[in-house]
Amino acid sequence: MLFSSITFLYYFLPCVLLIYFLTPKKLKNTALLLSSIIFYAWGEPKYVVLMTVGILNGFIAGLLIEKYNGAKTAKAVLWVSSLISIGFLGYFKYADFFIENFNAATGLSVPLLKIALPVGISFYTFQILSYVIDVYRKDAAAQRNIIDLAAYVSMFPQLIAGPIVRYSDVAAQLKERTHSISKAASGIRVFVVGLGKKVLIANALGELCKAYSESEERSVIFCWIYAVSYSLQIYFDFSGYSDMAVGLGRLLGFELCENFRYPYISESITEFWRRWHISLGTWFRDYVYIPLGGNRVSKLGHLRNILVVWMLTGFWHGAAWNFIIWGLYFAVFLIIEKFFLLKYLKKTKAAGRLYVILTVMISFVIFGAENMGSAMDCIGGMFGFKGLPLISAEQGYYLRSFSIVIIAAAIGATPLPRIIVENASKTKIGAVAVSVTEIFFLVGVTAAATAYLVDGSFNPFMYFRF
Amino acid sequence: MNEKRRNIIVVIVMALFLFGLSLWSWIGKDRDYSESERRKLASKPKLSASTVIDGSFMSDFEVYAMDTFPMRDAFRGIKSVSELGVFRKLDNNGLYISSGHLSRIEYPYSERMLEHASERMNNIYDKFLANKSVNVYFSVIPDKNCFLAEKSGRLSLDYPAFIEEMKQRTDHMKYIDITDLLELDDFYRTDTHWRQERIVDVAKRLASEMGAELKGEYTENVLESPFKGVYYGQLAIPVRTDMIHYLTNDSIEKCKVTSYNTGKPIEIGVYNMDKAVGRDPYEMFLSGADPFIEIENPNADNDRELVIFRDSFGSSLAPLLIEVYSKITLVDIRYMQSEAVGAMVGFNDQDVLFMYSTLILNNSLALR
Repeated sequence: MLFSSITFLYYFLPCVLLIYFLTPKKLKNTALLLSSIIFYAWGEPKYVVLMTVGILNGFIAGLLIEKYNGAKTAKAVLWVSSLISIGFLGYFKYADFFIENFNAATGLSVPLLKIALPVGISFYTFQILSYVIDVYRKDAAAQRNIIDLAAYVSMFPQLIAGPIVRYSDVAAQLKERTHSISKAASGIRVFVVGLGKKVLIANALGELCKAYSESEERSVIFCWIYAVSYSLQIYFDFSGYSDMAVGLGRLLGFELCENFRYPYISESITEFWRRWHISLGTWFRDYVYIPLGGNRVSKLGHLRNILVVWMLTGFWHGAAWNFIIWGLYFAVFLIIEKFFLLKYLKKTKAAGRLYVILTVMISFVIFGAENMGSAMDCIGGMFGFKGLPLISAEQGYYLRSFSIVIIAAAIGATPLPRIIVENASKTKIGAVAVSVTEIFFLVGVTAAATAYLVDGSFNPFMYFRF
Repeated sequence: MNEKRRNIIVVIVMALFLFGLSLWSWIGKDRDYSESERRKLASKPKLSASTVIDGSFMSDFEVYAMDTFPMRDAFRGIKSVSELGVFRKLDNNGLYISSGHLSRIEYPYSERMLEHASERMNNIYDKFLANKSVNVYFSVIPDKNCFLAEKSGRLSLDYPAFIEEMKQRTDHMKYIDITDLLELDDFYRTDTHWRQERIVDVAKRLASEMGAELKGEYTENVLESPFKGVYYGQLAIPVRTDMIHYLTNDSIEKCKVTSYNTGKPIEIGVYNMDKAVGRDPYEMFLSGADPFIEIENPNADNDRELVIFRDSFGSSLAPLLIEVYSKITLVDIRYMQSEAVGAMVGFNDQDVLFMYSTLILNNSLALR
């Protein structure tokens, strides 16, 4: 089920909130678990079984690791459990990719499995892995209540699109969490902003990107429009969904981690990745990069660690070569920055921002392309290597029609709106104006988003394929 | 306003909004038809183990939830205002407003569709008309975008190239150009169609090119209720409505119209006043979509016959031509196989006119 759907907003969510708040405290996790199962089964009924097996794997492994604390058995359990989790992910997400490449390399024709990707498998698998590893490292105690663990893994606000919540971050909240008007109001604010980002901005930009993909006429300007629009779309789509997850979590009493912090104002790629999909970046840092030795190894080892982590980051996003290349593309820039560029970037902020925007924009052309050929066509087109005309009448139309959306998205991707509101709130009159405006803003955005959803506009969520 | 009060207001207002609409969705009476969109709305899907397991219940429910949402038309209007007014987009789902007219962007020009349309027309020509004593004519009706889209900065077909392409593909038919006779106000503001009272000159040109002299003297009548065309409901923004005017004269009033829609001949009027107050008042002209209609003129002073292969634009035009023919046969091959025409019409000594709007020609897969 999509957050940005009529079914979720006006059928599922009100029922869940009603039941959740009427349920006694000790049964709230059960209510949350049942809601999450319905939420997941709505889109993928058969894969509820897969998620259940994954949860059982984590639950049993956690208990065994704690029981054999310090012994070799604990390590063996860790390995077996991790291999089961990774095995599921590998089979359901990557099997056909490996078969295709095996066939290409050997000339054989092993039939593809054509398995439908279970929604959210990458997210919940990483959560189960982090739980088992945290128990092994003694960063968290094993959960003895399977309902609580299942509620953590399947928690519907973050189940299908993150953020990737660490068990150690919410373990205490699973036992004891508070609900208050201020928390609920804050959750509503964050949720509505996320809903607006997704439905009003990302979907509109999605239409423009679709027009590019479907058009047979290409031009230099159209390639640039696409690169800008897609970079903004993916940010508003994903960060909008993350905001909705954080907002819903807060309504239910959880504090989920922030996943985006205005990435497009970064002055280096290093900084960009501290602001973009934060929960994934920190997951790879803590569970792959540091265990590999991080930067406390030889220079060559350090290089290897960066390349491995970024290849895996790319591969996590999708079972295709362009995702691996996308990850390695960032690895190259991160290595260059680490070894010499970063110190220069710190001196020239404007140049740094321009460099980040250009680098990231090109990366998302690779990310969003069907294959590397079409990515290179677009990148070549942007820089005039494809002999394309500057612009055509059709593309001029799209540019004029979507200019306000693009400008609004570009401003919305910076902290400027937040700064304006914060500054206005500093004066007494400003604070009153902000308070009054806020309620109109929240109702207005919700009504507008509802209107777009009722109209059945273009609405797929981009990160579902991950 | 202190922070606590502000939070309470946010929670109460948003809860009222969410739970109010939710309750309305759950217990409100479902509509099964949308007048404004002119389509059937989805009904509540049946819940069963098999529909849940195969996922069809969920996907059907999503459509049902959108279709039957409370105040659906008002919300669609909010979306149009947001798209066209706030985000200043040049169209909303392809629909746009300019010079007081609503229209839908027709773009791009499809070579494949033109090929299909001409193939259908040529197929009829080869099977039934070639080597017969018939005069075959062809005319393209430019849609209102021809007079609106480019001027208002919207995407537009290259109409001269479009018409030239169709002329070349049907070069064994005599082409009758009517583009120069049309202008934007010859079309309804809120609909795709042309206005009958504004196309007398078109009827005269067609008759003249087919060798007949049309007097073109009519009495103009007007329907009492306003006409909200197809775009009115689709855009869901209140704009100035149209009035339907219709023309009568002695020939039109006395002619006999027979429909074969049900398989049996049924007499219908030139103007159907029941349809005039129905879901699509434009259907008052010859009762709307019909694969095969004959109009007979008992007062004709000749025995000339005309066969028109047409779309819905032909419904309002054909009555204007009846005074110079003893019989007009209207064939709509969107609703019948073109191969079946031979069984319905004996082609001999007739004028045959193929007349299609650019909207149909550029989306011609419906022509069978």
